[in-house]
Amino acid sequence: MSERVSRRAFLGLMGAGMAGAALAACAPKAPQATQPPAEATKPAEEAPTQAPEAPAAAKIIFSSYTWSGYEAAMRGLIEDFMAANPTIEVEGQFVPEDYYTKLQTQIAGGTPPDVGIADYGRVVSYAKSGVLLAIGDLVATSNFPIGDMIEGAVAQYRWADGDFDTGAQGGELWGLPSDAQGQIFAYNKTMFDEAGVGYPTDDWTWDDLVAAGKAITNPDANRWGFLVPHWGMQVRGYFVWQAGGEWVSPDFKTQKLDMPETAEAWKWVWDLIYTHKVAPPPGLQAATNPFMSGQVAMTIDGVWWVADFANITDFEWDLALLPKHPKTGKRTTSVESDGWWIFKATKEVEASWMLMSHLANKDGQRKFGELNYVIPSCFPEVGEEWYTQKPPDNRKKALDNLVQDSRKAYITHFEVWTILGQCMPPIDAALTDGTPIEPAIQEAAQIMQDELDKAWELYNQT
Amino acid sequence: MKTQTLSGLRRWEERLAWLFVAPVALGILIFQVYPTVFSLYISLTEWNLVRAPRWVGIGNYVELFTRDRYFFKILGNTATYAVGTVLPGIVVSILFALLLNQKIALRFTYRAIYFVPVVAPTVALGLLWQWIYEPNFGILNSVLKFIGIQGPAWLGSTQWAMRAMIIFSIWRNLGFGIVMFLSGLQNISPEYYEAAAIDGANAVHRLFRITLPLLSPVTFFVLVTDTIGALQVFDAPYILTRGGPANATQTAVMYLYAKAFQMQHMGLASAVAYILFVGIMCLTILNFGLGKRWVYYESQ
Repeated sequence: MSERVSRRAFLGLMGAGMAGAALAACAPKAPQATQPPAEATKPAEEAPTQAPEAPAAAKIIFSSYTWSGYEAAMRGLIEDFMAANPTIEVEGQFVPEDYYTKLQTQIAGGTPPDVGIADYGRVVSYAKSGVLLAIGDLVATSNFPIGDMIEGAVAQYRWADGDFDTGAQGGELWGLPSDAQGQIFAYNKTMFDEAGVGYPTDDWTWDDLVAAGKAITNPDANRWGFLVPHWGMQVRGYFVWQAGGEWVSPDFKTQKLDMPETAEAWKWVWDLIYTHKVAPPPGLQAATNPFMSGQVAMTIDGVWWVADFANITDFEWDLALLPKHPKTGKRTTSVESDGWWIFKATKEVEASWMLMSHLANKDGQRKFGELNYVIPSCFPEVGEEWYTQKPPDNRKKALDNLVQDSRKAYITHFEVWTILGQCMPPIDAALTDGTPIEPAIQEAAQIMQDELDKAWELYNQT
Repeated sequence: MKTQTLSGLRRWEERLAWLFVAPVALGILIFQVYPTVFSLYISLTEWNLVRAPRWVGIGNYVELFTRDRYFFKILGNTATYAVGTVLPGIVVSILFALLLNQKIALRFTYRAIYFVPVVAPTVALGLLWQWIYEPNFGILNSVLKFIGIQGPAWLGSTQWAMRAMIIFSIWRNLGFGIVMFLSGLQNISPEYYEAAAIDGANAVHRLFRITLPLLSPVTFFVLVTDTIGALQVFDAPYILTRGGPANATQTAVMYLYAKAFQMQHMGLASAVAYILFVGIMCLTILNFGLGKRWVYYESQ
């Protein structure tokens, strides 16, 4: 019996087959339920780190973002690790752009790496979704010296089921910090000298900053006293806290943008540009870093800029403690800590933990400090080694500020980027165009409340 | 009833034909049809890539149209960009094509130069224009200052950022338009111009009565493709402004990207994609409908 080959039937079969195969291959893998939080990890501070026994043979994947010479530095550390643990092979995946887009695609495809660079802003989302391995037991059994780390850095990786933010005492540990980075207050000594203004002291307040800025600013020469921090730095939270304000209530149910102290902090930032006129409007800021290009005399930015500022040859510069708020006396800086985490899908828990603890322990941190790619202050004594180097002469002021007065960065709670993405544009517009800041804060506060409500709704549904 | 059958040879030929078609068909199915259908499904879910998708029906569409504060602003930005780049871009391209169609020295060199931005990476061009637009030392404001005008903060002002992006995009796409219109101009038979000259038509008459009508198929093609491209713009705002300041240059695809990969709302991002798809489809159908009134095909 002869058979007729129908085009329609052929296409139908082929389409169905391919669609089935594609669906099977690409459908998101439903993650397993989140592990129940374990008991709080009690660090064994006195006991030396106990190296777990190396597995017979294991291959693990380590993935990370990268920039500049960071990849070479990381590969060096991984080579050291493999030399010390010859049965473990580590494949490094380094992604120069959009690292987290790739990572999330890997997770969705069910093929995450074993160990990865961690983002403190994603801990809640990832831990809640059950894709991370809880490491409290591993830390405890290996006597990893977690008690020696700055607690604010570790707190970013503690999360208890039901919490909207990280940092819960008693929460399970979902990663280890690689650093503890705060803000620096840098100033251009040459511009201060030329204006005949004394250098910032430990007693400086916001008012002193404004006074010095007025003496230095000369818009016609495109020289300005201060650089208003950009959007990415504003949301770290530090100047709001210095003024005694908050972003949200402790239970994360109510916005606090319209709290008088918070509004005062934003108003002060706006005044720097449009009332005191000591800071260039955002649109007039130089395309390259305005502090490095000599456009502004003072800046508050992340400590990671120190490595770049060290290349400045056109003028003298130094660091000082952040100016205090004149009434509260606070000079709070935020702490933020990238780190490492292990994905729950790993089949090589032991090898993954060995690599992670190798990177995160004091020797690993010391090595990072030597390479100048991570500021290794999550162990204060290791951080001290980095912070006492030069330039500048007073690099240690940044560590002093961190130790004296610091708080976990604001940007760690559930849906934080969605909320900020919606509520910040009115404030951004006021700072950019010079329109009044007060109504912008009110609008932003209203938006933030709506977005918090929506975020809680989502939190409770997922 | 007797069933018609294929001979063995014909069956073999038909299977062979399917075999040849299969790579393309599979490619389309896997990389076009499946993602399209899958993203429609995702647009009806809440999904952050790390959890399993959760069905929300048309909730994402309702959210965008009723609760999202910026969605209509962003649609407006996208429309502004499209109108600002497409129509002026066509006019400028035709002007340059007319100039480069003259028998002038080095005209082939000029044509090549104008085409360079089309083949150069947008990232490199964006960085170049960031420097051109630099408010303090950029060449544009320096030139303006030289003639006594205080230039604006091109990319740093909510009033100027979109205009700056439109200027950049017109410049970048100019070469493509010129090539298209040049090919159109060179297809116009010289006999039309000879006949017009005998009838006493001047240059303006020849432009409006001969050149532009006979260029209309090319103009229509450029209009349709440029409109679709403009509504899907991503690279220019991503490189020049990241959508800022204060969402002033945020376009639909930028918003889609932010929703998907910065906020991890794949469902909302997919809904934006489908709304954009429907919008582009409607506009394209409208373009084809209106095109019947003004596009002149010589063969008809």
